[in-house]
Amino acid sequence: MIRLFLTVLFGACLILAPAPRATAQDADDLQALLQSQAELVADASRRTVQEVLDLLIASDLPEVPAFLARWQAREVYQRDSDGMFFYVAEEGASPLTLIDITSGEPAGTATSREVSQLRPNRGVQTVIATALVQFQLASDDPVDRLAALDAIGSAPEDSHLPILRDLVATETDADVLEVAEVLLPRLVIAFDADDADRVAAIESLAGNVNLAARAALNPLLVTATGVAETLPEGENIARVLEPGSTALPRDVAYAMLVEADLAPPLLPRDAQRDVLAANVVEGRVGGLPVGQLDTEAARDRAYAALFEAGLAEPAPSEAEIDASLASHVFFETYREPSVAVTDAARATLDGIEMRVGLWRVLDLSLDGLSLASIYFLAAIGLAITFGVMGVINMAHGEFIMIGAYTGYVVQTLVPDYTASIAIAIPLAFAVTFAGGVAMERLVIRWLYHRPLETLLATFGISIALQQIVRQIFGTQARPLTPPDWLAGSVAINDVVSISSIRVAIFLLGAVFFVTLWLILNRTRLGLEVRAVTQNPRMAASMGINPDRINMLTFGLGSGIAGIAGVAIGLFAQVVPDLGSNYIVQSFMTVVVGGVGNIFGTLIGAGMIGGLQKFIEWLNPSNTLAAQTYMILFVILFIQFRPRGIIALRGRAAGD
Amino acid sequence: MSGSIFTRNRSVPIFIAALTLLALVVTILSEGYGTGALSVSFTKVLGMTLCLCLAALAMDLVWGYCGILSLGHFAFFGLGGYMIGMWLMTARTEAVVRANLGSAVIPPTEAEISTATALQIFSVVGAQDWPWMWAASGSLILSLLLVVLVPGALALVFGWLAFRSRVTGVYLSILTQAMTLALSLYLFQNDTGLRGNNGLSGLQNIPGLETVGQARISIWFFWASALALGLAYIAAAWMVSGKFGNIIRGIRDDEQRVRFLGYRVEGYKLFVFTLTGVLCGIAGALYYPQAGIINPDEIAPIASIYLAVWVAIGGRGRLYGAVIGAAVVSLLSTYFTGGRAPNIDFGFYEIDWVDWWPVLLGLGFVLVTLFAPKGLGGLVDYIVRKDRA
Repeated sequence: MIRLFLTVLFGACLILAPAPRATAQDADDLQALLQSQAELVADASRRTVQEVLDLLIASDLPEVPAFLARWQAREVYQRDSDGMFFYVAEEGASPLTLIDITSGEPAGTATSREVSQLRPNRGVQTVIATALVQFQLASDDPVDRLAALDAIGSAPEDSHLPILRDLVATETDADVLEVAEVLLPRLVIAFDADDADRVAAIESLAGNVNLAARAALNPLLVTATGVAETLPEGENIARVLEPGSTALPRDVAYAMLVEADLAPPLLPRDAQRDVLAANVVEGRVGGLPVGQLDTEAARDRAYAALFEAGLAEPAPSEAEIDASLASHVFFETYREPSVAVTDAARATLDGIEMRVGLWRVLDLSLDGLSLASIYFLAAIGLAITFGVMGVINMAHGEFIMIGAYTGYVVQTLVPDYTASIAIAIPLAFAVTFAGGVAMERLVIRWLYHRPLETLLATFGISIALQQIVRQIFGTQARPLTPPDWLAGSVAINDVVSISSIRVAIFLLGAVFFVTLWLILNRTRLGLEVRAVTQNPRMAASMGINPDRINMLTFGLGSGIAGIAGVAIGLFAQVVPDLGSNYIVQSFMTVVVGGVGNIFGTLIGAGMIGGLQKFIEWLNPSNTLAAQTYMILFVILFIQFRPRGIIALRGRAAGD
Repeated sequence: MSGSIFTRNRSVPIFIAALTLLALVVTILSEGYGTGALSVSFTKVLGMTLCLCLAALAMDLVWGYCGILSLGHFAFFGLGGYMIGMWLMTARTEAVVRANLGSAVIPPTEAEISTATALQIFSVVGAQDWPWMWAASGSLILSLLLVVLVPGALALVFGWLAFRSRVTGVYLSILTQAMTLALSLYLFQNDTGLRGNNGLSGLQNIPGLETVGQARISIWFFWASALALGLAYIAAAWMVSGKFGNIIRGIRDDEQRVRFLGYRVEGYKLFVFTLTGVLCGIAGALYYPQAGIINPDEIAPIASIYLAVWVAIGGRGRLYGAVIGAAVVSLLSTYFTGGRAPNIDFGFYEIDWVDWWPVLLGLGFVLVTLFAPKGLGGLVDYIVRKDRA
């Protein structure tokens, strides 16, 4: 009887007891496992969540990592009616489509009132993230392990260090190992307890110019400024600062003293004025009429009178300020307490900075080269029309602009970017070649004997063309999108990288140069061009038609400007005054290089582009200033070589 | 001597008479002193046009007579404007600051006024201290001196460098263009002390003349501009009529031959270049108080090209040609781009003058260069020759 009673009682207990924990271990279903801990899951706190996580990890269920990731991201919902956990198909939708957490299949819908979102707080999220990382690192798939290392890299924690050590010791996948070995020194430096290990890790980074290495070292050298009567013992002092030096201006030093309650506050002029204004009695302050207080001396006297009368705080005199500055010591301390670590970090970082500096020189040269090739592209058409023919074509920039717009129009018709660029380049050449020939026939050939007037006529054409394009396309910038294979950049390391478009422009410039050089020096046309340039009459009597040659040369120069326009349009904004931004620089490039040969233009572009980047490097963040100084340099340079770097000699130079 | 110039160059008495007549008519029709038929803003436009004519006159001296096609003379014009603009802005802002601080319990000190003025002027570019180049901005006399000295010094140094190394022709044109581009890029920077691309503004408020009103001030500036133009015209006509004129015309036509005749060509060129730079500076100093605002865009290379174009359209080497060209082109531009010109409706297309004027203007330059190398002045030759025949 008693036995029966006990059995019934025990059975009742079994039924009534809220999900005994012992059964959880045996659950083979994530939902069931979670239900066994429903309360702890729904209301997780930093203290209790570890218990749930341990269970989940021990269960070895395949859905666990995905669940942890979603839980951490606050993407898990609990149905209020039965306490079951779900994902939803689309957040914020109404009604919400519930997704079963085990099968990933849709499991009915619910309105947002029928479910409640699990909102683990930041502390819980961190704990989950650590568990997740552990999980992923233990995964068989190298992709998961890489993702986990990525997560550690973006938010390292001290708990990651032992896990990572284990991984490095056991990892077999070469890619994962490489990433882990880069990451390990960072974590050792940040979290290891043993200073010798940390110093070794720091030294292992020597000569590493990657951003990650510098990011690992820089936090060690963060300093804080402090002030005290004497230099404090036991602190890792970086350096002692002299008040009044550039590192610590006098007023900043005194402000630190005031901040630390080691000296009375200063009395700025406007504070003094406020005190005086607050003490006006019958139109007088400290015995002085208000009207007389328009000089600093009078105000000082009035303030002194107020101080005598006990109405104002004393203000420190200059001598007192000096005395308090002299009686205190100002210093910078490292946040990092270990001297060995900071010394090693300083030495390693100095070495790295040195290398970074050298790489920067390379980066700067590449920048200069790329700018030079842009100038070269813009100027090379001019090198022919101005340099070879002596025509000042102010509308040259407009040919560049028309080339860019041709590219834009082609792109609106041909959606494939690679194909459209391939069509745009010859088409731009054709359009601007035709424009150049028309201009030469209609205007320029009448003005060969009046070079300065070509300038005015072509200027007129320039503003007319600009305005017509503005009429057709409007003033807003039009997109000329580079194909995908030109969108990225070529990176050597974290310091040196150059965008693919600039590489392409450099190559284009090189192709132009070689082609033009061959045309001018190795073809019949080139021979005739040079003959007409040097002596049109003699050339004519040799059977060359100067009219035809002039027409073709001008067309060639204009056509090249059109191709340059397509290239420039790929990185600059395509606007109607695109060309006028390049015209003055282009003329300078040709003049500096030396009129009459394209080799000079190449050198001129190299000099101007390189110089401008160099000045920008001296005074970063100020491109305008760099341009200004570059132009000044060009003006001075022309003084010493009025005919440019490569000056033609003899008769060819003409006058 | 000045008497003889009136008889030697027939354009001088005609020009002075026309200018006087214009001044009289404008005064009679003005709001400030006459019937009010001319609005204040149009009076200002006329005054500004006279300043542009003065700059074009200088351009004619340096290009039409001396053969130096400078594409940078508007830089001097802008510099003159900046020099007087600094004084106008400082004095005006200081007056406003004084008025504001005057109501405080404690009267302000000079240092406080200066600090508050600087803050008012430079906070727009994130600065609060006086840059060094504003040192003279407190004094009208010094600022007027700088109007002459700064453009003059720039022209002198630039010209000395360029002429000394025999940079001529097209090269010189490009070099002067580079000069004005460098100057405008320099001024575009916010940290160079002249308020970057904001420029100087509020220049129409002349300190000390707050009670006079813009109606009268605009007439005064018109008179000043007319006076400056008239005096410069007489001086220029006198200069080009004597031996000096022959020499610089010789330099224009064959520099080498003049040099072989024993003249210091560089010295003459430098003198003309500097003198015209100063003239442009004065013109700018008269122009910008009427315009009210100056910013670095004003001295972009294109402005100087326009100056050359005006002279070309008016006709080079005849002084009055430059004045006519500048007046006609700039007034027409103001008219057509001001939106007041009636649109022409063809039925299928409506010509909007604001949009199509630049196209017409550009094609006009081409046509004048091709078919009328003597410009509008060529018409005068035609009439005069008929008279004699």
